[in-house]
Amino acid sequence: MTRALVPPVVTEGPDLTKLRLEVRAFLDDQVADGRFVPHVDTWLTRWDREFTRELGRRGWLGMTIPTEYGGHGRTFLERFVVTEELLVVGAPVAAQWVADRQIGPSLLRHGTEEQKRAFLPRIASGDLVFGIGMSEPDAGSDLAGVRTRGERVDDGWRLTGTKVWTSGAHEADAFFVLARTAQPDPADRHAGLSQFIVDLRAPGVEIRPILSMGGDHHFNEVHLDGVFVPDERVLGQVGEGWRQVTSELGFERSGPERFLSTFQLLAEAASAMDEGRLPQDVGLGRHVARVAALHQMSFAVATALEAHAEADVAAAVVKVLGTTSEGDIADYVDTLTATGWVEDEELYRLLHAAILQRPGFTLRGGTNEILSGVIARGLGLR
Amino acid sequence: MSASLDPRLARSTSADPDLVAMLSQLFDDYRAARSAPREVIDFDAELWARLDELGLTRLTASEQSGGSGASWFDGAALLALAAGAGAPVPLLEHGFLAAWLLEAAGLPNDGRLRTVCRPDPAGVALNVTYGRDAASIVALFEDGDEWRVADVPVDRRSITRGRNLAGEPSETVEFDLADLAAGATVEEEVGEQFHLRGALARCAQVCGAFERIVELVVAHVREREQFGRPIGRFQAVQRLVADLAAEASLARAATDTAVARATDSDWTDPGLLFAVGVAKSCVGHAASVVVRNAHQALGAIGTTLEHELHTLTKPALARRSEFGSIHEWDETLTRLATSAGHDRLWSLVTTGRAAPPH
Ligand SMILES: Cc1cc2nc3c(=O)[nH]c(=O)nc-3n(C[C@H](O)[C@H](O)[C@H](O)COP(=O)(O)OP(=O)(O)OC[C@H]3O[C@@H](n4cnc5c(N)ncnc54)[C@H](O)[C@@H]3O)c2cc1C
Repeated sequence: MTRALVPPVVTEGPDLTKLRLEVRAFLDDQVADGRFVPHVDTWLTRWDREFTRELGRRGWLGMTIPTEYGGHGRTFLERFVVTEELLVVGAPVAAQWVADRQIGPSLLRHGTEEQKRAFLPRIASGDLVFGIGMSEPDAGSDLAGVRTRGERVDDGWRLTGTKVWTSGAHEADAFFVLARTAQPDPADRHAGLSQFIVDLRAPGVEIRPILSMGGDHHFNEVHLDGVFVPDERVLGQVGEGWRQVTSELGFERSGPERFLSTFQLLAEAASAMDEGRLPQDVGLGRHVARVAALHQMSFAVATALEAHAEADVAAAVVKVLGTTSEGDIADYVDTLTATGWVEDEELYRLLHAAILQRPGFTLRGGTNEILSGVIARGLGLR
Repeated sequence: MSASLDPRLARSTSADPDLVAMLSQLFDDYRAARSAPREVIDFDAELWARLDELGLTRLTASEQSGGSGASWFDGAALLALAAGAGAPVPLLEHGFLAAWLLEAAGLPNDGRLRTVCRPDPAGVALNVTYGRDAASIVALFEDGDEWRVADVPVDRRSITRGRNLAGEPSETVEFDLADLAAGATVEEEVGEQFHLRGALARCAQVCGAFERIVELVVAHVREREQFGRPIGRFQAVQRLVADLAAEASLARAATDTAVARATDSDWTDPGLLFAVGVAKSCVGHAASVVVRNAHQALGAIGTTLEHELHTLTKPALARRSEFGSIHEWDETLTRLATSAGHDRLWSLVTTGRAAPPH
């Protein structure tokens, strides 16, 4: 038998359910109090530092960070249910997302003791907002082609180059930059890359907005003009950047944000159908079924990550299926609606945002074409 | 890995690994030894006798009733592996449904081959698989307000033989209404559960077929060469294969989740209707992609009678529509989702129940 692509499903135990309901009750209160307006794709587009700090106070950030670094020493499974609850209500979680999902685990794995002490407690409290500086104008899917250069200087490095599509850089405090620190080696394109922790307010950093097609601002272009990065802000080993970046992909790709970005729209469509504002249609049941199965599959990958098992291929499966499905939900609801909706109608508000965000779902974090290649490799085709 | 799970956080849903290893071997051997595929599938009495000897024909039935008393985790594994080998035996009908109905009705079971059906008010049942081979047919009958189970022997019914899309025996059976009315009464829940058990067991079978299809397709695209290289090196072919394997994985996750919910609650969890619906919907829609992409990747050879592929794709399509069409199940899910509404949809997704708003 071919090895299964995805680990077997597991069922949720009582402690997780209890935590889930606790988070849910808190969020319901927040919505009732008007603390936030539920929306779609909030993990990319809704920053609310105060809300993020409140989550930090409740112990729902940096959950997997050990207590000695200000975290909570809990499991990836506990983090999983908390993030699911935050996503399904459409809470404003962009300020914490990158730090909580990947910067924390990455620092734990590759960071120095000093770096862990400097950053992890403030990630867990929600005081530190991070971005990711990987993509460049000429390095998208082919990330190994990054041109940002790191030049060795006394006590550190000087970074020069342009990062693009940097989500939330204008809101963030720092970002992880992937840069070339040695001449390209045609025999090994992945050699000579390094990761840096870069203060977004350092001299030589210029952040320019890139407006998305709906006119909103979440993307940026970040120019680095000889930005000085001290030695103690190199992440992990010089020259090991590629391996470090790819070792985090399981975390980045398998989570519930890969299928829940449009859940608020799906939920609103269910009520609209019930109340006769949308026609009864079986497509709803079909989409709900996929969300339910993806929830189980993503949870299964979280258990693999918890057990430190290899999960890159499984994560690619979740991401390909999940991002396609969450986008299909937007398109599906659109096929049920006619023009002539009133502007302030909830369904209309969510639908239009979902349609405009949809193209990004299957691009960000590695495109579905690239991920299909990862799955094919997992099946032994390449 | 699953051994290290803290049960307060998460519980494993896997079948007994020793049983799975034994079944894999058994059905691999069966597949290797059997004759070339034909356009029809006939009951394999020799295989049946072997399965019976091993205690597999009534694996999930209770030991008191003559079964092996195994869990549905094990049962689903048996159904999947047998389906992956295209084993022409009514494991589901005999072992999972007929045996359970007889037990629920307090009727004896002598272990002879049985199939199962739900006759209409006129006493007619359609698509009764392996009806011609069964010594007795267990009928679940809605008799006015009462549900009855009747075990009707071979000489007391009229059978019109047929074949389903897969070429399996699939008959029309006419019962004498008096025989059905003489059946033992059972609780109303038995009627509902019959539908859920049948639907979920069919899902397990289709997942087993998918998993063998993935094996066949992967092996084929790695071996078959065109333009001087294996076709699996072409990105377009990789996409076909990745997509079908991903859909098969999703179907598996949905099915295993429903099996876990059924097993953990001994079929009493009120969230089962939703869970089985999710499995049915995901399996059914996955079949569209898996069957299409597999045939596309295999080229003309995969469309021939001699090739193994159709022994998997045809049953997958035939079975996905049994115990409720995909459309009917999508309707059920839609009804559950609309009545849950905005505030309780997520509760429905995670537990199968739309808990009251808090
Ligand atoms: C909403 C959103 C948020 C993002 N946030 C960030 C961020 O915070 N930080 C960051 O660094 N980046 C971010 N990105 C960038 C993202 O990682 C890139 O968009 C992605 O890697 C693809 O690169 P590209 O856009 O240059 O497309 P390209 O690589 O130019 O690809 C264009 C098309 O060609 C296809 N293609 C390319 N190569 C191949 C191949 N070998 N085989 C088959 N098909 C191929 C792709 O699949 C795609 O369909 C974000 C993107 C989006 C949409």
